Amino acid sequence: MNFRRSVAVMVAPLLGVLTLTACTTAAGEDDKTPVSLDQDWSAAEPITIDVYDGLANYMGIQGGWFGKIVKDKFNMELNVLAPNVAGGGDTLYNTRVAGGDLGDLIVVDKGEQMDELIEGGLLLDSSRYYDSMKNVAPYDAAVDHLNEGKDGVYGFPTSVSSLKPTEPSEGIDPTFGPYLRWDLYADAGYPEIGTLEDLLPVLKTMQDAHPKAENGQPAYAISLFKDWDGNMMVTAKQPACLYGFDEMGFVLAKADGSEYQSIVDSDSEYVRALKFYFDANQMGLVDPESTTQNYDTMFSKYQNGQVLLSWWPWLGQSAYNTDQNMADGKGFELVPMQDQQIFSYGAEVYGGKQFLGIGSGAEDPARIAAFIDWLYSPEGVLANSSQTMGSSGPEGLTWETGDDGEPVLTEFGTKAFLEGGADVPAEWGGGAYQDGVSALNVNTVLPIDENPATGFPYSYKYWPSYQEATANPLTEDWAAHMGDAKSTMEYLQTNDQVIVAPGSSYAAPADTSEIEAIRSQVKASIIEHSWKMVFAKDQAEFDALLAKMQETVEGLGYATVLEFDMANAKAQNEARVEVASTFQ
Amino acid sequence: MSMTQGAPLLERGAATQAVAEQRRQSKRRDGRPGRPGRDAGRGRGKGSSKTMFLLIAPFLVLMFLFSYLPLAGWATAFFDYKPALGLGGSEFVGWQWFSMLVSSPTQVQQIGQVMANTLAMSFLGIATSLLPVFFAMLLNEIRAPWFRNAVQTLTTLPNFISWVLVYMIAFSLFSTSGLVNSVLHDWGLITVPLKFLDTDQNVWLTMLLWSLWKGLGWGAIMYLAAITSIDPALYESARIDGAGRFQIMRYITFPQLMPTYVVLLVLSIANMLNNGMEQFYVFQNAFNKEYIQVLDLYVYNIGITGNSLSMATALGMLKSVISVLLLITANAIAKRARGTSII
Repeated sequence: MNFRRSVAVMVAPLLGVLTLTACTTAAGEDDKTPVSLDQDWSAAEPITIDVYDGLANYMGIQGGWFGKIVKDKFNMELNVLAPNVAGGGDTLYNTRVAGGDLGDLIVVDKGEQMDELIEGGLLLDSSRYYDSMKNVAPYDAAVDHLNEGKDGVYGFPTSVSSLKPTEPSEGIDPTFGPYLRWDLYADAGYPEIGTLEDLLPVLKTMQDAHPKAENGQPAYAISLFKDWDGNMMVTAKQPACLYGFDEMGFVLAKADGSEYQSIVDSDSEYVRALKFYFDANQMGLVDPESTTQNYDTMFSKYQNGQVLLSWWPWLGQSAYNTDQNMADGKGFELVPMQDQQIFSYGAEVYGGKQFLGIGSGAEDPARIAAFIDWLYSPEGVLANSSQTMGSSGPEGLTWETGDDGEPVLTEFGTKAFLEGGADVPAEWGGGAYQDGVSALNVNTVLPIDENPATGFPYSYKYWPSYQEATANPLTEDWAAHMGDAKSTMEYLQTNDQVIVAPGSSYAAPADTSEIEAIRSQVKASIIEHSWKMVFAKDQAEFDALLAKMQETVEGLGYATVLEFDMANAKAQNEARVEVASTFQ
Repeated sequence: MSMTQGAPLLERGAATQAVAEQRRQSKRRDGRPGRPGRDAGRGRGKGSSKTMFLLIAPFLVLMFLFSYLPLAGWATAFFDYKPALGLGGSEFVGWQWFSMLVSSPTQVQQIGQVMANTLAMSFLGIATSLLPVFFAMLLNEIRAPWFRNAVQTLTTLPNFISWVLVYMIAFSLFSTSGLVNSVLHDWGLITVPLKFLDTDQNVWLTMLLWSLWKGLGWGAIMYLAAITSIDPALYESARIDGAGRFQIMRYITFPQLMPTYVVLLVLSIANMLNNGMEQFYVFQNAFNKEYIQVLDLYVYNIGITGNSLSMATALGMLKSVISVLLLITANAIAKRARGTSII
């Protein structure tokens, strides 16, 4: 015992010392003489850089055709670190940041993360390279806006655009929308849908007529998942987006700033959506596996035709609208819901939510700056843009310029994009095309923007040749019933059913740690109760759970967070109004 | 740590020791010497204490590195810790996190529910801690060695399956489209799938059953080992006195296992708040969360999922303090009841 005590006495002061040895490395890059990036990097020493990428869905060395392009141009390999793959929320970020080195090339959120990385000295001031970054130059206003109030150039904006902020950033399909299995909707006789709740009897008819999918498994109108639940149950937020709302913390803010709702209020669009799901479940329309499945399981159900409703075109259509299905007239299409006013994100003149930056510990920052610059060049945009946005790929491989100067997909491109994949020729790096796409999954320039080299948008999905090539019984039938609309966005715009939130690039200020602590408890409670409400036994239980949720979050300090979110939502609206008038 | 045998067993224990001593003596007489080196060392007295200290030094260093050094992390609880800024760059907030934990009735009620879950699962665990003892005793009675070994192997195996895989087994059996529901449905017994996993009914009980299934065989190993070290002379004399099989189990095996059991029991009481989180983490969902969230899981959910590292540290500290209190209490009870302390 005595000995133990003496050890304790010896140890105690040591603890104090160790406590203070937390690590921060200073940037220490005071030299601001400009550096020219104009050199042939392919002759430089080979290096591998760590890319910490908050958007990536692949972890490891970038291979395939994109890897080869980067290797040929910069003699550089990309080791992608993807928190989405690593799992565990912010664990990877926190661990790396605490270790003082997040990565050589960093793709994270602007706002809070950017500020703390600069303060912690983890981001490099790229001012000395910026003058030489010719391809970023056209977006100088966006770069300035991103680095406003900071003593240098610490980041480069993503998803920049030369469109007006009041124009939708989505070109063909909106981000949200009531997408039903059009073929089954047709079988039901194209019933009229006045408002959200009118979907239920329609879905009931559709499900009753088609209780089983082609694979023999039961089909349900609605299938839910929990992976993306954040401030609220994510699938219950989507119907609110059909009425022009988007979330700002616990606030649902209308795109034009005309209305702000607290999500837990009994008359909020969020609770309305919970009620919608509850009613659907009472009618037997909700997949009972919703409570335990993850996104991947649900996605494969969409692929198998086991789900009939999708709130997102990029879920239902990308899973089910294969060439084969569409040729058979089957697939997801937007249905005309008469009172809908779909939320649309305006083009972000100042860039999207994330930014690209160079880590302060980077071995060869000049080469990374040159690489970033290349990502903004037409060649870089075409090769690097994310697949979900319709990245066209490198010229000569997937597409070529036709006789009339219009870009068209090559035979290889048609196979790769429309017929489920193709093997890349050896001189382009080999392997399957899909495996070789850029793992960065970040758009430097919006794919809807015009490629100065061709005069057409970057993404092949907007090329006339593509739209002609993809006409099929499904889209023809849809267009016939939708006033011969050429695209979903066109239909919505002609019918005044879309509401654009000007792209202000507003980034909400960081939660204070107190708010963050309250928020994390409140949102856990909201999500827990929301799920229980959807699967409640009867109306009485639903109401009781709603009351319990309101009471619990109130007790946890909901009001404090709501006030904070409300102020942010209003500030966001001011920024939207301002940007809309600046870029008129 | 030292452990002597308890008062009710003292007589028998003393007899056992006497027998053992006799055996040692007889072996020596067979020509094997005792251990002179060790005996001599003991006699050398003070001069050797430095050597002795050197011998335990590596373990003290390890102990320091793994048990005391991490305590430095407690400092996090008094800061508004942001990893990018480091502790030095983060703001000092004093007791803010601790006061936040008790700032509102709902908050207190939530922690109360978490504590209730933690203690309930621990007490259920302790209440069933005799099961491995009985299991070991019964296993020991099996005559056919191949059967005994087979049973032992099969019951020990689940211990080596990670909770993630256990959940996968549970999922494929008990999910709404799992084996059990499909079979029941095919037989026409149910029309709506039964909810085994996503329900707030009997959460504690099902969790207990899973951990029993996983840990029973493993828990019995220690007792099986203890059974082999029971002096055969006790069994022989019992048999000569005409004791039957169950009487031997009741009057020899069971009491002889008690010292081991009590040590494990006291340790498990000190460990009451540490019921781990893997099991509850993999089984948690929105429906059972209220009853499944034990302290460790709550700390994880707040710290890692909710990214409030400082607040989670404050919670974790409270846990350590309560654990120490429990250990002292358990020790005091043991001291009073058995006359000896375990720490």
